[in-house]
Amino acid sequence: MSVDRAAGTIREEANPAVQRSTKLYIATAVISLVGLADAIYLAIQHITGESVRCTIVSGCSEVLSSPYAVMFGTPLAEIGAAAYFSVFSLATLAAFGYRIAGHLLLALVLVMCGTSLWLIYLQAFVIRHFCQYCLLSAAVTFMLTILMFLTKRTRVNSSQ
Amino acid sequence: MKRILPFVIILLVLGIAIGSAMYLKQAASNPTPLANASPATNTTSPATEPVNNANLPPGAQPPWVLGPATAPVTLEEFGDFECPPCGLLHPILLQMRREFGDKIRLIFRENPIVPNHQHALAAASSAEAAGNQGKFWEMHDLLYENQKTWHEAFDVRPIFEGYAKQIGLDLERFKQDVNSDQVAKRITDDGIRGRAMGVKGTPTVFMNGHEVPFEQLPAEKLRVVIKKELGEQ
Repeated sequence: MSVDRAAGTIREEANPAVQRSTKLYIATAVISLVGLADAIYLAIQHITGESVRCTIVSGCSEVLSSPYAVMFGTPLAEIGAAAYFSVFSLATLAAFGYRIAGHLLLALVLVMCGTSLWLIYLQAFVIRHFCQYCLLSAAVTFMLTILMFLTKRTRVNSSQ
Repeated sequence: MKRILPFVIILLVLGIAIGSAMYLKQAASNPTPLANASPATNTTSPATEPVNNANLPPGAQPPWVLGPATAPVTLEEFGDFECPPCGLLHPILLQMRREFGDKIRLIFRENPIVPNHQHALAAASSAEAAGNQGKFWEMHDLLYENQKTWHEAFDVRPIFEGYAKQIGLDLERFKQDVNSDQVAKRITDDGIRGRAMGVKGTPTVFMNGHEVPFEQLPAEKLRVVIKKELGEQ
């Protein structure tokens, strides 16, 4: 283990557990880009009003034109894009050894996972339509959650 | 270098994300010219000259038209009676008709979104069957104005038959026509024309052959677009 005083971070390159968690953070950053692209597409659909149009693509017009597609006056897709970009940024920093970024990342992904579960409930039981772009976003968030648990387990195992 | 690398990567992704968003927004905001339009009409401004649509499928013949053939502006709507935004557009188009009179001509094309809208095909068939008795627009108006009523119904047949009675149709003929091949062919023909014109959802409105962007369909914006087309603004 080496201490990088200038960066204020602790570097543990020699530790295999750290190497594994670095790989997991890189995977997290890459997967978050899929969520970011999906959220940007949905946000543009919302801004231009295309999401309101009825399309062959099942369910999206019903879901994206529902009141649940907006939170605090901001389209949920824009909040999602900001969240995925934050995940990407934190995962990148964590991969470069910024440990505080790893802790923030775990908290953020857990909040996103909870939000995704709530949105799936709304689609299934309240709006009664599914939008595949929203489902893709939820799938990405669940993958990020699994990666976060794997990272956490790697860290816990290495400290025992 | 290694210390600033993550920040460089983050800024790079941020730049790409913002650039992609701006590109997508620009692309979504531009009107889509007809697939077979001549290059001269391939512009992002409302059309000022007729589009060469000779190669396009004609759609159901004759189409349902309101307004004179000599009107300088033709609005061709691809609609689905069960689609809520189409229901919202309905009074707007009526308002445009009142405001512009014989300067605009409306054409309605069937574009039921099946299977998402479970009653859309039955509604389209009912409108077409009413059209066989010269009452297309009466049924068209009733379907849109009562959309919320029949949208949630399990069986829409008695409701649509009630509308048919209300507008004075021969009910037996209406029941036959709803399930006829002729009505099915009209709906299919409109769908074929819609696909050729790049219709991906409803409502899609073409003004003199150029798609009016969805965001310009609210009354205050559509009025401006029509005035520009008429050279009044």
